[in-house]
Amino acid sequence: MITTLQQILENALERLALIVTTYLPSLLAGLTIFCVAYLIARLVRWALARMIKAAALDRFLAQSGLSSMFGRSERLRAARLISGTAYWSILLIGLLTGLSAFNTSLTSRMIEGAVFLFPKLVAAGAILLAGAWLGQFLARSTLVWAVNEDIPYARTLAAAVRIVIVFVSVVVAADHLEFARSVFLAAFIILAGGVVLAASIAAGIAAHSAIERRLEAPQRTGRESEKSLWNHL
Amino acid sequence: MDKLLPDEARRALKTIDKADIVIGIPSYNNVRTISHVVRAAQAGLAKYFPQFPAVIVNSDGGSTDGTQDAVLSTRLEDTHLLMLSTPLHPVHRLSFPYHGIPGKGSAFRMIFQMAKELGAGACAVVDSDLRSITPEWIDLLVRPLLHGGYDFVAPYYHRHKYDGTITNSIVYPLTRALYGLRVRQPIGGDFGVSSRLVSRYLARNDWETDVARYGIDIWMTTIAIAEGFKVCQSFLGAKLHDAKDPGADLSAMLLQVVGSVFILMEEYAPVWQKKSGSSDVDLFGFRFDVGLDPVEVNLDRMLNAFRRGCRELREVWSMALGPEPLKQVLALGCGSEADPRNFHLPDELWVEIVCDFACAHRAKPIERGHLLRSLTPLYLAKVASFVIETRTLVSAQVEERIEALCVCFERFKPTLIARWKGEARSGQPPEQRAAGVREEELVRMEAKK
Repeated sequence: MITTLQQILENALERLALIVTTYLPSLLAGLTIFCVAYLIARLVRWALARMIKAAALDRFLAQSGLSSMFGRSERLRAARLISGTAYWSILLIGLLTGLSAFNTSLTSRMIEGAVFLFPKLVAAGAILLAGAWLGQFLARSTLVWAVNEDIPYARTLAAAVRIVIVFVSVVVAADHLEFARSVFLAAFIILAGGVVLAASIAAGIAAHSAIERRLEAPQRTGRESEKSLWNHL
Repeated sequence: MDKLLPDEARRALKTIDKADIVIGIPSYNNVRTISHVVRAAQAGLAKYFPQFPAVIVNSDGGSTDGTQDAVLSTRLEDTHLLMLSTPLHPVHRLSFPYHGIPGKGSAFRMIFQMAKELGAGACAVVDSDLRSITPEWIDLLVRPLLHGGYDFVAPYYHRHKYDGTITNSIVYPLTRALYGLRVRQPIGGDFGVSSRLVSRYLARNDWETDVARYGIDIWMTTIAIAEGFKVCQSFLGAKLHDAKDPGADLSAMLLQVVGSVFILMEEYAPVWQKKSGSSDVDLFGFRFDVGLDPVEVNLDRMLNAFRRGCRELREVWSMALGPEPLKQVLALGCGSEADPRNFHLPDELWVEIVCDFACAHRAKPIERGHLLRSLTPLYLAKVASFVIETRTLVSAQVEERIEALCVCFERFKPTLIARWKGEARSGQPPEQRAAGVREEELVRMEAKK
């Protein structure tokens, strides 16, 4: 009995030793690679943040409205953008190189997948970025227009425009990545249907009010008298 | 010959060949008033410039109401004019549609091109919706060019105290403070231009911008002043005209006019930063008081628009205004609800608002269209304040109020220059710099953090 138990323990220890001797060097090598990559990434980010002036790119970000995409507190700047991109790229390369040290079929598949997925991820990221920028731009346009045109709930309307645009960009990005296609598509159809329904109701109510206004002469006179001021430079 | 001109204009140029004076009339669906304007122009040329070959050019934006036909069919009854000399040359009348972006600027471009091709020494442009134009206007706009050696004649009108509010509250005070000349109606719409200045206008390449629309008037005036052309004013009496483009909304007008002022501020920054104070401009014509059309105002709507702006546009305004003026504006928004009849937007605050917007327009923390359109509620607040303050005042007293605003702009100019150059507001930490902050400086600050 004791002999059998001893044998089992010996076998288990042998297997563990085998695993350790097989994978530990790879793990240590992978961790070392990743740590070195992490240090290089931080160093590169630090250096780029100080070296890059990129006034032209800053100007482009400001002129295109991209710089104020995340609001006033989080201004997007060229130096931060470039150094951040470099940091994450080096970190990703370090991670993949570290994984390749294991040299197993699983890690090979992971690396292969990551390499193949990378261009798609970049494209999806670009779609999301464009969506966020467009959402911000159209939301501000809607807000300013609604305020100037005396449309109620201007900020809510602007927020709705932003949400719709960002959501559409998320759907397109997910579709591009072939990720949960049907779920996003269904959600999009429900949202679009809701928007159309709401717009129809709003148009109906507006038409009703417009007819009412037309029938009420005093209100019309008030509007004309206001225009007489606004039309004089 | 320039390809800007339509074929019929080129054919007409071949026939006419030469003219000393060109009178330009831009139009779009002005059949009600344009005959009167053409008659006045024709009478003015016959009466005051009988020895000069002259052409009246109507540059039309595709009218569908028969405006062009009205121009070509208008006849001048000579017997009604007291003329001591017989005109030596007939006055040609031409009417063509212009090409390019629809707007007054594009119409002017074709008129100037015609003037250049005809070798005209003087070109005057008058609005087609004028009801108060007389033959004397042509004399007053053209004579300083032909006999006084001036390059640019700006109009000087009597207007109702509530008429021309963009001029009175923004364009005149700002232009005067920046360029140092007191041109009272910089966006008046009726101007005289010498051949030298016409060539300068045509040589520029910004015709496709807001200049093509409402921005053309301030663009012409600013170039004339900033580039050192000889400028004068002519007193034309009252300006009575049909309501402007009924489809145009206020924020679009502000966008085009104020946007043009701000763009030209950038271009001529080295010019205006060297100037301080302001001086009078030669004024021709006999000044007299005239009756004016009343202008109705709706104070409640203007104040409501301002309050709405305070509620909804705080985030947008915070990108242009400094913390202190923003605080004051928001406080005014709250206060106006409690006591709308005593609403008052101080001149100092208004000047700071306009200058902060100018700096933000340059620094572009947000898209320029959004920035300029968001100025509308603030502008309406200033107009409302002006209406309340001047309710019981007569014309001369109103002019004094406008003069006080101009002085305020002039006093603020050193601060404007400092902010334009990106210097911090006094008493504020660098992190709180608002509009006008240079991008590189912020990057440097972030790096230090």
